[in-house]
Amino acid sequence: MIKLEERKASIKPIKSKLKISILDDQEISQINQNTRTVLEEIGVVFPSDKALKIFAEVGANVDFEKQTVKIAADLLDKYLATSPRNYTMAGARPDLDVHVGDGKGTYFYCSGESPRVVDFSTGERRLSVKEDIANHARIADYLPIISLMWPSASASDKGETSPLHGLEACFTNSEKHVESESVMDEVSARYAVEMAIAVSGSEEKLRERPVLSQLLCCIQPLAQDRGGIEAAMIFAEYGIPVGFMSMPTLGLTAPPYPAGALTIAMAETLSGIMLTQIINPGVGNYISVNPGIVDPRTGAYFMGSAVAQMTNVSGVQMAHSNGIPILACHSFGGSQYELGNWQAGYENLYSHLLGVMAGADMSFGPSGMYEAVSLLDHPRILFDREMLRVIDEITDGVDVNPKTLAFDMIKEMGHKGGYISHRETGKFYRTTWPKESILYDDGKPEGRKWRDPKDVAREAITWILENHKPEPMSESVKQELRQIVDRADKDDSIKREISGHK
Amino acid sequence: MSEEMYKKLAQAVIDGEADDAEALARQALDQGLDPLACITNGLTKGIQQVGELFASGEYYLPELIISADTMKVAMDILEPALAGGQEREVVGRVVIGTVEGDLHEIGKTLVGTMLSANGFQVTDIGVDKTAAEFIEAVKENNATIVGASALLTTTMLQQKKIIEALDEAGLKNQVKVMVGGAPVTQSYADQIGADGYAEDAISAVDIAYRLADAPA
Repeated sequence: MIKLEERKASIKPIKSKLKISILDDQEISQINQNTRTVLEEIGVVFPSDKALKIFAEVGANVDFEKQTVKIAADLLDKYLATSPRNYTMAGARPDLDVHVGDGKGTYFYCSGESPRVVDFSTGERRLSVKEDIANHARIADYLPIISLMWPSASASDKGETSPLHGLEACFTNSEKHVESESVMDEVSARYAVEMAIAVSGSEEKLRERPVLSQLLCCIQPLAQDRGGIEAAMIFAEYGIPVGFMSMPTLGLTAPPYPAGALTIAMAETLSGIMLTQIINPGVGNYISVNPGIVDPRTGAYFMGSAVAQMTNVSGVQMAHSNGIPILACHSFGGSQYELGNWQAGYENLYSHLLGVMAGADMSFGPSGMYEAVSLLDHPRILFDREMLRVIDEITDGVDVNPKTLAFDMIKEMGHKGGYISHRETGKFYRTTWPKESILYDDGKPEGRKWRDPKDVAREAITWILENHKPEPMSESVKQELRQIVDRADKDDSIKREISGHK
Repeated sequence: MSEEMYKKLAQAVIDGEADDAEALARQALDQGLDPLACITNGLTKGIQQVGELFASGEYYLPELIISADTMKVAMDILEPALAGGQEREVVGRVVIGTVEGDLHEIGKTLVGTMLSANGFQVTDIGVDKTAAEFIEAVKENNATIVGASALLTTTMLQQKKIIEALDEAGLKNQVKVMVGGAPVTQSYADQIGADGYAEDAISAVDIAYRLADAPA
């Protein structure tokens, strides 16, 4: 069982002693060169006059009619140079700050934006509502393996302003850094910034320690979303980190080859990063590459194939070679993930193991999702966490030193005798045996027998929901957030913005 | 003074400090303390607490075994000093071993240790032991329970031979037989006439309590 006790939120990255490189220097260089040639000769579509003008002003080759931006390599590199390799994504307290690129390992997200949930009380599948986001935020706040969070579901009870309600639910139910990936229009972005300023205390404090970040999905191949990119420009203006995610589907929205798909992904993300750096040099960025494939028999979309995972992890080297941090790996629940489905289990395990070993700055982590990230089930977050617990152990590698070589112990025990009775063995198991696991239940002897981890996980989630109270936010800030979201609810321009770019 | 010594003996067992336990046992005899009281109020109290710590998940097997070994070190000093007719109180007297042709030790040792930690007097006769050797140990130790372990489908048949041998030796009414090991099942245990079957060391304690007619 995991330790269930009243405690404050904390965060814990996973640092890997084991390292892998998928691409060699020459291969990285070839993909980078190819990316720059694509940007220079083919360009990326930015369907926003505001963005096009900004590109034109700095000397990019802009076709206003086709809304296409072509970027020379030296111009791109000039602006990438200001994108920081290290920066902070702040929590409510400094000890919850994620210092991206600090070398302390991979920080994990609780991501999501699932449209449906499994109701925790009744077990029925239904559309997600704001309360589900609040509950999941409290669970994520409790688990140290989670350092950053998205609203984990859509607030389907809140209409067009669902993303802002999601942010409110996260800010008021967790002290950890909050990121939005669904604020996709300029008007909503301004409200989100207002909320972040309210949480931080002032615009200046927000710039210093941004408590909010944004992830923007690019449109494949080689295009950006109008609302999304205009929201990104607002966030960048206020010093709010902006990540760009490319989701090339091999053979559908990108070439079928990983190298070609990586080229597409880098062109999309780097062009977006350049725009935010023109607006606010030094604002934090990151890249995320999430490739998929299609089932060639049915056209069904798959996140969890081996080739897609390999492409994904190669993105770590590609991002780092451009001096940009990366958010790697698919979300847990990205494949046809059902509990007890061994295929989904191994896909999730090796994807995250490779991501950590490749040195990803951040990774999608325990989320509680399944069915291709479309269904949130609170207890499942503990199964995702369980895999990271194993990955944490594996990536510690093997310690070789006089103590672990254990010559004295071997000599003492001789040719017979059980090492189980050795004092050193006792110490070893005390530190090594996974106490914090839903797979191995403690308690009375009869309770130590195998129990279905689903039951154990459910018990743990029940306890967390009943007992974990994140450090309370001040009433005045809560009220301020409420008023901002309330104003947004009455603001018809959000509806117009959203429908305008659909 | 004696209360203080009992506490120290108990603590040595809880901490698994064999050297301390040995020194304390000698000290107790030098001071003229009653060895039976030292066992009952010191060592046994300590091992009972170890059993509770293990049951609650606080202690793991290594600590349990280290504590049981520690107790044995002190017992080896105190027991010979018991006055004639004095006998320490035990839940039951167990003879445990792995059957003939089978060299697997771990399961049998764990069960023996668990039983020791739960107040049974355990005589571990080792591995690859014939039915005759089991019978001899039962007689020698006036055992009330026999534990026969087998890990192989080929050697599990020896468990039946031990039961038959006990019957032939007229000991069947004196002792209860527990069997265990990977291939053994409850139905096999029933079929060969065993009195108890346990699938692991923890449930073996419950079964042994039941067989000893003591409260679990």
